[in-house]
Amino acid sequence: MLSFILVILVSFVFTGVVIRTKSIASGRKGPGIMQPMKDIYRLFRKGAVYSETTSIIFQIAPTIYFSSVVMAIMVLPFGHTRGLISFNGDFIFFAYVLALGKFFSIIAALDTGSSFEGMGASREALFSMLVEPAFFILIGSLGILTGYTSFHEIFMTFHFSTYITYAIGVLVTFVLAMICMIENSRMPVDDPKTHLELTMIHEVMILDNSGFDLGLILQTTNLKFAMYGALIANLFMGNLVWYFTIPLFFMFQFLFAITVGILESFSARFRMSHNAQFILVLSSISLLVFFVILMIMNKF
Amino acid sequence: MNDLQLFFLSLFFLPIGWILIAFLPSNKKSYANIFFVALTVALTSIPSINVLMGKEFQYVFPTIKFFGEIPLRIDTLSAWFILIINFTSLTGAIYGSGYMKPYSEQKSNLSFHWIQYLLFHSSMIWVCVVQNSLVFLIVWELMSLSSLMLVMFDYQNNKTIKAGLNYLVQMHIGVAFLSIAFIWIYFAEGSLDFIYIKEFFIKNSNIWLFLLFFVGFGIKAGFIPLHSWLPHAHPAAPSHISGVMSGVIVKVGIYGIFRMITFLQQDYLIIGQIVLGLSLSTGLYGIINSAVHRDFKKMLAYCTIENIGIIGSGVGLGLIGIGTQNPILVILGFSGALLHTLNHSLFKSLLFFSAGSVYQQTHTKDMEKLGGLIKNMPQTAFLFIIGALSIGGLPPFNGFVSEFILYQGFLNGMGSSNFYQTFFMIMSIAAFAIIGGISMFAFTKSVGVIFLGSPRYELHAKPKEVSLMMRLPQYFIVAIMLSIGIFPAFYINLVLNVISGTFTEYSILPSNFYSDYFSVTTSIGRYSLLLIALIAIVYFIRSNIEKRKSSLVSSTWGCGYVAPNVSMQYTGKSYSKTLGKLLSTVVFERKKYKEIKDTEIFPNERTHSAFYTDFFEFRFIDNFINRFLYFMDLFQFIQNGRLQQYILYGLLFIIVVFLGTYLGII
Repeated sequence: MLSFILVILVSFVFTGVVIRTKSIASGRKGPGIMQPMKDIYRLFRKGAVYSETTSIIFQIAPTIYFSSVVMAIMVLPFGHTRGLISFNGDFIFFAYVLALGKFFSIIAALDTGSSFEGMGASREALFSMLVEPAFFILIGSLGILTGYTSFHEIFMTFHFSTYITYAIGVLVTFVLAMICMIENSRMPVDDPKTHLELTMIHEVMILDNSGFDLGLILQTTNLKFAMYGALIANLFMGNLVWYFTIPLFFMFQFLFAITVGILESFSARFRMSHNAQFILVLSSISLLVFFVILMIMNKF
Repeated sequence: MNDLQLFFLSLFFLPIGWILIAFLPSNKKSYANIFFVALTVALTSIPSINVLMGKEFQYVFPTIKFFGEIPLRIDTLSAWFILIINFTSLTGAIYGSGYMKPYSEQKSNLSFHWIQYLLFHSSMIWVCVVQNSLVFLIVWELMSLSSLMLVMFDYQNNKTIKAGLNYLVQMHIGVAFLSIAFIWIYFAEGSLDFIYIKEFFIKNSNIWLFLLFFVGFGIKAGFIPLHSWLPHAHPAAPSHISGVMSGVIVKVGIYGIFRMITFLQQDYLIIGQIVLGLSLSTGLYGIINSAVHRDFKKMLAYCTIENIGIIGSGVGLGLIGIGTQNPILVILGFSGALLHTLNHSLFKSLLFFSAGSVYQQTHTKDMEKLGGLIKNMPQTAFLFIIGALSIGGLPPFNGFVSEFILYQGFLNGMGSSNFYQTFFMIMSIAAFAIIGGISMFAFTKSVGVIFLGSPRYELHAKPKEVSLMMRLPQYFIVAIMLSIGIFPAFYINLVLNVISGTFTEYSILPSNFYSDYFSVTTSIGRYSLLLIALIAIVYFIRSNIEKRKSSLVSSTWGCGYVAPNVSMQYTGKSYSKTLGKLLSTVVFERKKYKEIKDTEIFPNERTHSAFYTDFFEFRFIDNFINRFLYFMDLFQFIQNGRLQQYILYGLLFIIVVFLGTYLGII
């Protein structure tokens, strides 16, 4: 319950912090931290324009996309406290629920019959497919290390006792952060502020959404950021007491948002054809984590 | 009436059904078929349910000359498969009656078709009952031949004939392997009874005989590289037949493999590893191919191969569990496999039925010619999307439950102290993740291209929603699928029942099974319900807010271009192009076109076609056949049609025989 509320709270400011970091880095004054939420609120009140090509799928897809992410957030634990949903192997449920939302967001893009949106849909489907094994190998390896298979128990027993686990922690953080960037279609694979529809992924899929639906999709992106941020924060919170973990949680989310902002300010998007290689590298880093864990456990 | 009599009564009704179907007017034939299929379903399901409830079913027919004793046994395993066969055959019969309406003028063809359908249904059931290898092979052959006749309904079409012949040949390669295996046992043990397979396994090495059986049954099931009949036969068959074939006939192959596993005595670990490795490659191979093809029935056929891979992974996992004495792994693997068998029979028949509805209305299997069908056929689109979601293993549908059980198995096996097993399991998890990802890719493509967007071609007739007769069985399937997704406990208990009845050493479950695994899987149902509720609430809020606002309908945003047209819409081919390129070693793209010559100043109209080839078929089977034919061509001079030379051959032959006898060689 605690994690659910905190993640939702963080989601309100996350993109604001990212945008603020980017504006500072580029020497602009930039909007306030709450600006993205104000935009979403405005969108909620606006009327919508629907394409005549679209069907009911286009109308329900943002709802399902949003609900699936909310459902996934319920799985996340928070230090001592379990998530609203917690069972052995809950990370599989987490990944598959997210996939359900993605399924609908993809077919909604195809529903518009546009040439550009199909392109984005194809890329989204491909990249999220490529990122799946990285996530599963990573959490699976942590499962081997800790002997548990639910998020809560994995994070509770993931100690930082020896130096080598620090290395694992760094690698895991890196992979999770990159998965977050790919799933949200952010910098190394996609540039949200690009002008050309041909080079977009996520932004081009939602070209035809407007009004409430667009607000819902934007809020879902915020939630997803906060969700992955919470996963990373959980790695480091361990079994500390709540008055340590709550500030720690906010600090990690804040750091993560700033990192995203800095990354987006100082790096360029990959060529579209190189993205697949990049994402597969994540799988191999996950495999590296797997082997390091086997080494720690003397399994060779 | 006892259970055996019920079974024989169903056999007694079979000829009555044939005669009735033959003489009824063509619009009534299909109803007679439904009636008799339903009758067989009722008569055979009652004993099967009894067996699942714990009753015994075992009868041995006294020695009939030549065949020896013919034992009829139904254990929980047979009962489970009989129930699956019955359900899908019944829905297939009901759907088929609507699907075959437009063919009502082909009277004799129709009678033949429905007669074969009855035979096909019964033969599949009897395959699960008979346990005498000779009779088993006869029933098996009846099943293969009747399904061949069903596939070749559209026999005037050249492609169908080709697909049918391909199917015929491949099924007989399978039968050859099975025959060799059974003959081996007969010579070693002197009996045709299946029980003696166990005796054989106790005394001899297990792996070779099991592999023979695996190849024989694997051809039916569609494991790579023995899968190549599926992508030809399924598109050629009428859709209710594709649904039933994909839903259950491949499962009969799985039944055979399971049956042989019950007799295994040793070598579990190595067999399990072979089966698991092969199954994962089957899964990956199937889904990669299904993502690139544009013929939607072919795409579904490849997807069947993928699901056979998933079922096979469960089987392999269970075998590894037996080999490493890990009862939880055994139960998770086998229950995942058995439950996925049921699940796949449900959603695959649903998908084939709804794809068949599309074909009936549009007369094309090429998804690039379709689009926007959701507006004309909303219910079919809805059914197809449900099928697509559940086949991708997405919650809240049934596919997720069985895949989750298998994931649990992998996670459990991962805890092993053996390095290789841990590595194998994590690779399996990664493979499952990729399979899940690509299956989402494949089905978003087919849903999006067939049903969404705007129509790509002008069709001859405006498609409209199909008849109630065709939709009804599909809704029924969806209801069962949802029930598995939301109340998995009932079905998992059934499956556990099947396992404890078949593998008696695993009838007492380890104490932590219920708390650590069973309760987890059943809780998924609750969370699925929560997910549905959440979606409903958000949608309710959304529609309430939307009601108060004005909304506009306009054309799709063309990114500034003011005259967009339909042909600019994204196509299925371009959707899967990036994936195809990435995996071009597996899905090889071939192009057919004529290059423009330098001398052609004004080139004529020309065509360009690109299609994907099956790796195994193209690289191995076709390659081998072509080389073989090339080699045989060298001897073509012998048969040259000249009478004089033929006489010369005769003369030479006589001389050789003469010389042979003279010199005492012959």
